[in-house]
Amino acid sequence: MAKTIKDTLIGTLVYGKEVLEDIRITRKVSPDKMSLGKEPGTRIAQLHAKELSLVVSAIFDTGKNAKTLRLSSKTGYLPPFEAGQYINIFTEIEGVRTSRPYSISSSPRQRAYYDITVARTEGGFVSDYLLDKVKVGDEFSANGPAGVFRFQPVFHKKHSVFLAGGSGITPFMSMLREILEAHLDRQVTMLYGCRSVKAALFHEELSAYAKEFPNFSYHLVVSDEGDSWTGEKGFIDGKLISKLVSDINEATYYICGPQVMNDFCKKELEAMGIPEKRIRREMFGARRDIEQEDGWPKELSGQEVFKLTVGDKVIEAKANESILTSLERSGVRVNVCCRSGECSLCRVKLISGRVFLSKGIMLRMADEKFGYIHSCKAYPISDIEIGL
Amino acid sequence: MQNYDVIVIGAGNGGLAAAATLAEKGKKVILFERHNIPGGCGTSFCRGRFEFEVALHQLSSMGTPEKPGPLREQFRRYGIEEQIEWVEIKELFRVNFPDGTGISLPADRKECEAHLCKEFPQEKDAILRYFETVYSFCAESAAFAEKSAQSTDEPGAVKKTIMKLGFPKLYPTLAKYALKSTQEVLDEFFKAPKLQLALSAYWCFMGMPPSRFPWSILAKCTNIYMEDKPFYLKGTSMVMNQAIMEAVGRMGGVVRLNCGVERIIIENGKAVGIIDENGEEYRAKKIVSNISPLATYGALLDEKDIPESAREYLKPYTVGISAITCFIGLDCTPEEIGFTTSFTLNYESLNANEDFKDAYKLLPENDPLVATCYTVDDPSISPAGTSIITAGTLQYGEEWEKLTPEQYYEKKYEAGRRIVERLEKMYPGFSEHIEEMEIATPLTHMRYLGHPGGAIYGYEQDVMSSVFFFPAESMIPNLEFASGWVNACGFGPNYMFADKVATSLASEV
Repeated sequence: MAKTIKDTLIGTLVYGKEVLEDIRITRKVSPDKMSLGKEPGTRIAQLHAKELSLVVSAIFDTGKNAKTLRLSSKTGYLPPFEAGQYINIFTEIEGVRTSRPYSISSSPRQRAYYDITVARTEGGFVSDYLLDKVKVGDEFSANGPAGVFRFQPVFHKKHSVFLAGGSGITPFMSMLREILEAHLDRQVTMLYGCRSVKAALFHEELSAYAKEFPNFSYHLVVSDEGDSWTGEKGFIDGKLISKLVSDINEATYYICGPQVMNDFCKKELEAMGIPEKRIRREMFGARRDIEQEDGWPKELSGQEVFKLTVGDKVIEAKANESILTSLERSGVRVNVCCRSGECSLCRVKLISGRVFLSKGIMLRMADEKFGYIHSCKAYPISDIEIGL
Repeated sequence: MQNYDVIVIGAGNGGLAAAATLAEKGKKVILFERHNIPGGCGTSFCRGRFEFEVALHQLSSMGTPEKPGPLREQFRRYGIEEQIEWVEIKELFRVNFPDGTGISLPADRKECEAHLCKEFPQEKDAILRYFETVYSFCAESAAFAEKSAQSTDEPGAVKKTIMKLGFPKLYPTLAKYALKSTQEVLDEFFKAPKLQLALSAYWCFMGMPPSRFPWSILAKCTNIYMEDKPFYLKGTSMVMNQAIMEAVGRMGGVVRLNCGVERIIIENGKAVGIIDENGEEYRAKKIVSNISPLATYGALLDEKDIPESAREYLKPYTVGISAITCFIGLDCTPEEIGFTTSFTLNYESLNANEDFKDAYKLLPENDPLVATCYTVDDPSISPAGTSIITAGTLQYGEEWEKLTPEQYYEKKYEAGRRIVERLEKMYPGFSEHIEEMEIATPLTHMRYLGHPGGAIYGYEQDVMSSVFFFPAESMIPNLEFASGWVNACGFGPNYMFADKVATSLASEV
């Protein structure tokens, strides 16, 4: 076969003939590599599954108003996770497909199952369902594990101070179980704020751990004045933290709890002079009383209903419900994971209208510039149009 | 079923540019992206008070508004030049040596020559000859490219003979250096290893050590960055890619985010459409794939539709290198820690080729360390009094693919710890300032890019596989490739290559 002009000219270059010969030989001896095209999919599924098919294998009571659901995999495989991470569980309730992120409360050192612990929240659409309706054998799909509320060994201090509030105890259970059961060289001081001793989840287990392990100290902090609790009373504040934590500057602080508690603890730590780098916070989902948040337009009660246009669909959207929730109610499928403003999977473009953006949304600079919002924590405050 | 002129698969740099150019030319185009955001490598993510750039270090081919480079002109056509605040970078890079010394190169030929002559007076003549060679090489290769663009047909035997004899005379520098490695050319000119390392730093943008890095690519990088200046932009590369995506829509194109392509439909051996991940069918006259050829053929076609010629064609090409990158937010300014140049390459010895061998290992050892402090060029990139640094080593994915899932997190943090230790050694006090830190491994790159081996630059770009030998041809009619897998990889090259592919397609549909 006559040489192409390209090969002819390459032949005139210094090393040209040698390179052409090298290529010819390489072609001859190299294997077909086409199967590599599929590999990333299978390999990544072991670490970051796109979708988990879960089945409830056991249910335990965890205190009076909470249950632990033990979730196994239908395929027999669950990916590894870092203690503190969550999974986002999809449910279909009364014809509405929605999801909720739940921190895994079991230790990452075993992966026969993931435990999630669900506490009742007043009027909680999903929590009521999980507590009252779900039974062993029920199936769920989920995504995750995901999230960055975890111990980062490269720069976090070996002494962890866990500041938990209410059901915000769950990621700490996973972290603590790992540290204690695997005898990791770390120290934990836990301050757990609850209304009453009865409302505290895992109280007995935590007390027992504290007795057994010298590297763990546990302090339940009860806020109800009338409670018979003889330990710490009141709220987790700077004074209490300074009293219970041995060297406040040599610890990393982790906060997980209701928004108000979370914000309060952050302020207290800052007042103690704890720098940002030593404070890690788990974001909670959209608050139920968004109209109470700073910056909410005073003229709106939250009960207003606006028109939400998406493509050729027009749906109703209540001001005090996130755009994501309104979309889900109307059966519009939106990609979603953290429901806390962080992960950006539920990002949509705001084409027209005004929205209230709740605290804690992590928008990229590009989002602000081109009008993208995270629908899980954005609330319509006028008629709006969005693009998916 | 919907009909389009062109379907583009993947909203990375190449896919976005291809879709924008087609829309600009009035073609009915739809772009599919499986992620929730556009950009591919050219993206960002948020942690705490910081937004981290994922991939862009220096945008090439921009030029100034007065003397625009080809990329700036392309962005003008898309109507996005003015939407973005461009930041000109004054220094190409700084190379730091194990003895604590270092050399920074100004982004200007004369200044650069003068600076190097002062540092290495005994090699003054060689330095001047070297830059002359770089510039002649680029001028000749541009002249030849223009000439060959005029004639597309295969010439006759007589003309071939004339061209064969004439070529080395017309293009002597091109003929002499086009197929040489960086190391060979540097050895020809220079004695001092530090000088060689100072001039070859761009090897890390392509992931081939100097001994295998085609000098022609180095020459072009040097020439382009000096003439058109390196640029960054406000708001990370995500702003640029979002701007292109918005431009696609403004010019009449459609972008589907959160919607991957499941399969390419082949009829009578030709590509005629795609099925998306929701099972919807789309038909088009042409399909542009901006994902790797391996994934295009291997994952989007039925086994029986993969042409034997494609398997054969891709055989000599090896999946390239990946990286371990630490994205770090510091609670101090760059000055406090001692960072003066945004882009630095840090050596553990004066033998880059030897150190590069550690790239095949699981964890960083003596690997050259690339560290970029974005705050130096744009203090507004993070809150006042903080800075953003990304630091990492080039690392092949193979050893990471051997890990069991159980081993993964431990190794990932170990890799991060080693990189931070290197930084601590160079910038004492560094680790105490870390406020946020995220580590990306080859598997992280694999997860987000979908690339075999977690490759960040596509195929290995050695002399045999790049420049004249990129695997750009498609073996399926009506299917074209636009990504960095089939051309020089990098932001500027990708945008411009995809523009070229799309322009040629636009004349056919």
